[in-house]
Amino acid sequence: MNTSTVQIILIIIHSLFFIYAFFAIASYVILAIISTIETIEYVKKNSFVNYKEILSSTISPSISIIAPAYNESLNIIENVRSLLSSHYVNYDVIIVNDGSKDDSLEKLIAAYSLVKVNFLINQQILTKPIRAGVFKSTNPAFEKLTVVDKENGGKADALNMGLNISNNKYVACIDVDCLLLENALQKMVKPFLEVTEEKVIATGGVIRIANSCIIKDGKLLDVNLPKKLIVQSQILEYLRAFLLGRMAWSRLNGLLVISGAFGLFDKKTAIEVGGYDTNTVGEDMEIIVRMRRHMEEINEKYKVAYIPDPLCWTEAPDNYKILISQRNRWTRGTIETLRKHRKIGFNKKYKSLGMLSYPYWLFFERLAPIIEVVGIVYFVILMMLNEVRWDYTIAFIILAYFFTVLFSIVAIFSEELTYHQYKKKGTGFKLILISALEPFVLHLFILYAAIRGNFDYYFNKKKKWGEMTRKGMAKAENN
Amino acid sequence: MEIYHYLLYYFENSPTIIQIVWIASCVLFISILILIVYLKYLRSGLRKNEKTVIEYQKEYESDLITYLYAGNEEAEISAEQQAIIDKLKSCASDEFKRRIIVSTLLRLRNEISGEMADAIQKLYFQSGLISYALKRLKNDKWYVVAKGIRELTQLHVKEVHDKIVTLVNHPKKEIRKEVLLYLVTLFHFDGLKFLDLLQTQLSEWDQIQLLEVLQRFDEQEIPDINQWLKSTNESVVAFSLKLAKIYNQFEVKDALIALLSHPQKNIRIDAIHVLNHLQVYEAKPILKNNFDNLSQEEQIKFFKLLENLSEISDEHFLLAHTTHQNFEIKLLALKILKTLVVEKFKSMKDFSTDADYVKIYEYLAYN
Repeated sequence: MNTSTVQIILIIIHSLFFIYAFFAIASYVILAIISTIETIEYVKKNSFVNYKEILSSTISPSISIIAPAYNESLNIIENVRSLLSSHYVNYDVIIVNDGSKDDSLEKLIAAYSLVKVNFLINQQILTKPIRAGVFKSTNPAFEKLTVVDKENGGKADALNMGLNISNNKYVACIDVDCLLLENALQKMVKPFLEVTEEKVIATGGVIRIANSCIIKDGKLLDVNLPKKLIVQSQILEYLRAFLLGRMAWSRLNGLLVISGAFGLFDKKTAIEVGGYDTNTVGEDMEIIVRMRRHMEEINEKYKVAYIPDPLCWTEAPDNYKILISQRNRWTRGTIETLRKHRKIGFNKKYKSLGMLSYPYWLFFERLAPIIEVVGIVYFVILMMLNEVRWDYTIAFIILAYFFTVLFSIVAIFSEELTYHQYKKKGTGFKLILISALEPFVLHLFILYAAIRGNFDYYFNKKKKWGEMTRKGMAKAENN
Repeated sequence: MEIYHYLLYYFENSPTIIQIVWIASCVLFISILILIVYLKYLRSGLRKNEKTVIEYQKEYESDLITYLYAGNEEAEISAEQQAIIDKLKSCASDEFKRRIIVSTLLRLRNEISGEMADAIQKLYFQSGLISYALKRLKNDKWYVVAKGIRELTQLHVKEVHDKIVTLVNHPKKEIRKEVLLYLVTLFHFDGLKFLDLLQTQLSEWDQIQLLEVLQRFDEQEIPDINQWLKSTNESVVAFSLKLAKIYNQFEVKDALIALLSHPQKNIRIDAIHVLNHLQVYEAKPILKNNFDNLSQEEQIKFFKLLENLSEISDEHFLLAHTTHQNFEIKLLALKILKTLVVEKFKSMKDFSTDADYVKIYEYLAYN
C-alpha cells in the first residue's frame, strides 16, 4: 500500500469513529429531551390521582407477586414481610424456593406457620419438578402467601413455576430482596387499566438503590446517600438510565427491557409466548423482546409502559468483584437476546421494534464497549507510532468529559424536579462531585465487565449467573 | 497575560474543527457551572419550601379551627370569623398560599362531618377561593382545568354542574376523568346520566373509580341501566355490566342475554359472568347449544356458570368435556360432575390416560 492509500484508510477509520460518537451523543441528547418531556407529563398526570380508591377496591384486578429465592436465608423472613405489606387489596405473594441449599424453607415454615397443601398446578410452562411441595399458612394473617419448593432450575425456571401457580390476571415478577413501596402495585397496574386504544403487555418500574437507606419492618423510612463511591456512582448511573433513557423509550413504545428486579406482566401474554427463557442469563430482557415480537406477529396493538416513580429499592453491589460479575451477566444477556431475535433487526415487518429499538440496542448497547476498546487500542497504536495529534486528543477528551458530567447533572436535575429523594443537606454537592468522578471510578470497570462478558459469551459458554453476596438491607437499619 | 495571548494564538491558528470543539467545551463547562449554581438554589428552595408549607399549614389550620368554633347564635358571622375570612381572602391572592389554604380546607373537610363540614364549604365561598377554582376551568392548560374540577368535587360545589357537564367529551382523558368523578361524587346515580352523552371510551381505571365512589352511597335508587346495556359505546356496556353485577340488577336479564351475541368478545365474557352471578338459568341452554362456536374464554366462563347452575340433565354434556384439551375446562367438568353425580365421578378413574386428566382426577378425589 502506498502512503496515500494508508491516508485514505486512516481518514475512513477516523470518520467512522467520529460518526459513531456523534450519533451516540445525539441519541443520548434526543432520548434525554424526550424523557424529560415524558417525565414532566407523567408527574402532571399523576399529581392528583387518587390511588386509595383503587387500592381499596375489591373489583381492582388481581395480581400475583412472584419472587424466586435461592439461598436467601439471611433475609427471607423480612423480605417476605415486606412483600406482604402492600396496600393493594386484590393480590397474593408466591415465593418460589428454587432448590435452596440453605434453611430458607425451614425458616419460612416456622415464621409463617406454613403447612403443605394439595395444590393442583396447570403446567402451562415446563419447569423443574416440585421438591418439598406447595405450602400455605394456617395463620389467616398470611393467607396471601404461597410458598413453592422446587428443584433448582435458575431464576427463569422459578418465575415460570410462579406463572403456572398464579391464578391472577397480572403477575409482578420481582427479586425477593427488593423492597416494594406500599403503593407500588396500584401505580404499576394503572397503565394496564387506563389505556383503551391498545393492550398493555407489561409495565416496568424504576429501580432505586437502597444501600445505606433506613429500613424497618419492610418499610423504607429514610433515604441516604451511601458512603462508598462505587455505590454512589451506581446511583448516578441508575438515575441517568431510568430518568433520561427508559422514559423516552416508553414514550416511543420501544422499551426492550424491564428490569428483572421489578416488572408487572399480563399473565396471559407471558404464558402465550412460553414464559421465561431458561437458557439465557438475560431472561428479563428476552421475555420483553419475545412478547413484543409475538404482538407484532399477531398484528395486535400493544404497549410496554414504564413508571418513573421510585417504587422498588434494591441492594447494589458494593465491591468491584460483584459489580463486574453483575455487568458481565447483563452483557451476556444482551448478546444472547439480540442474537436470538436477530430476525427482528432492520426488519420493517416489526416496525419501530425492528427499525429503531433493535438497531439502537445493537449499536449503542451491544457494540459500544467493543468500539470503545477498539478505539483505545487504536489510540495506543497511534501513540506508539508517534502519530497522535495531541491538540485534537486533548480537545476531544475534554469535550467528552464535560458532556458526560453535564449529562449526569441533568439526570440529578430531573430527579430533583420530580421525586427529590435525596433531600439531606450536602447531598446535592456530593452528587455533583460524583458526577465529576464517576467516569473514572465506575465507567472503566463497567467497560472491563462488558468486554469480559463478550469474552465469556464466546469462549466460556459454561458460565451462567455470577455470585451476588447479600449483605442484607436489614443491616442498613444500623447505619 | 502571556498565557492568555498564547491560548488566543493557539485557538486562532487551530483547525476549524478544533475551534468548534473548544467552543462546545466552553459552552458545556459554562452550562455545568450554571446548573451547579441553579441546583444549589433549587435544593435550598425545595427544603425551604417544605418548611414554609408546614408553617403555613399550621397557621391556616389554627385559623380554620378558630373559625369553626367562633360562630355565635346572634350574628351569622362573628367578628372573629370575619377577620379570618378577610385574612384568607388576602392570602388567597398568592397562588402558593392559596394552594396551602385549599389543601388544609380539604384535609379538615375530610376529617369532620355535619354542620362543621358545611361551615368549611361556606368559608370556601366567603373567602373567594371558589372564584379561583372557576377561573381554572377556563385555563388553557389541561392539568390546571383538571385540578380545578377536582377541587370543586372535593369541596362539593354543585352549582357548576352545567359548566362541568359540557366537558364530558373533552379530548384530554384526565379532564374527562375528573368530570365523571365530579358528576358521580356530587350527584350519585343521577350523575350517571353522562353515560348517555359519552362518546369516548371509559377506561377500566375510570370504571373502578366511579364504582368505588358509587358504593359509598347506599341510599340511592339505581336508575334503569337497560339503555346503557344497549349502548353503542362498548365501554358503557362494560361499565353497565359491572353495575348490574354489583347492584344485582336481575330485571335487566333480557338485555344481559341479548349481550351473549354482542360482537365484542370481552362483552360476551362479562355478560356470562354477570348472568352467572345473577343465576339466570335461561342463559344456560343458549350457551350450551352454541358451545362449540364460543371462544375458549367464553367456554371457561360458561363452565364457571355451570358450577352454579348445573342440573342432572347436564351430565352428558359434562361427561363429553372431561377430556377437553383445555386444562381448566377439564377441571371444571370433572369438578361439577363430582358435585352432581359423585358415583359417576368415582367410576371415571380410568376414563382417560391423559396426564392432565389423571392429575386432575387424583386432585379432586382427595379434596
